[in-house]
Amino acid sequence: MTRQYEVVYIFDSALEEAAITEKLSRFHALIQQPGDAAQPELNHWGKRSLAYPIKKHETGYYVIAKFDAAGEQLPEFERAIKLDDGVLRFLVVLAENAQPAPVAVAKADSDEEDDE
Amino acid sequence: MKRMSKVCPICELSLRVIDYKDERLLTRFLTERGKILPRRLSGCCARHQRQMSTAIKRARELALLPYIKGHVG
Repeated sequence: MTRQYEVVYIFDSALEEAAITEKLSRFHALIQQPGDAAQPELNHWGKRSLAYPIKKHETGYYVIAKFDAAGEQLPEFERAIKLDDGVLRFLVVLAENAQPAPVAVAKADSDEEDDE
Repeated sequence: MKRMSKVCPICELSLRVIDYKDERLLTRFLTERGKILPRRLSGCCARHQRQMSTAIKRARELALLPYIKGHVG
């Protein structure tokens, strides 16, 4: 069973854009679903200043990714990120509540009207 | 300190989830030192106070919000 997750990475802002893209594709290969070529939805916030210094860095490069993965895949995914020195910090959270509300209720109502 | 309104400020916005990345919204619920406002002052209902404080804690971890504002380390 897969669930929808959201991950925020804070990269070292000294890294080149190409290096960040390379790291992202390496991490995302670990959560790739077999037989599903869907790529994570990426959102680059770019360089912004941190509210407090992390590992003596005052700025970080923020990237947000949304993806579907099975829970068993996550420990390895997180381990790979932790081992990477270019990532200052990251956060993986479930993003299931963020999905738009299903419209099934409204549909059921209109079906009833059709019956009458 | 702002006087609390009768209705929960997050209910008023009719948000489905409080986004931890929305620091503009979350700073409304912080004191000038960066502490989370108690429900007495934020005016949030129980559910939204809980969701809001979780969102603030996540934002702090990502350095979007400070743990202590004005702290010189």
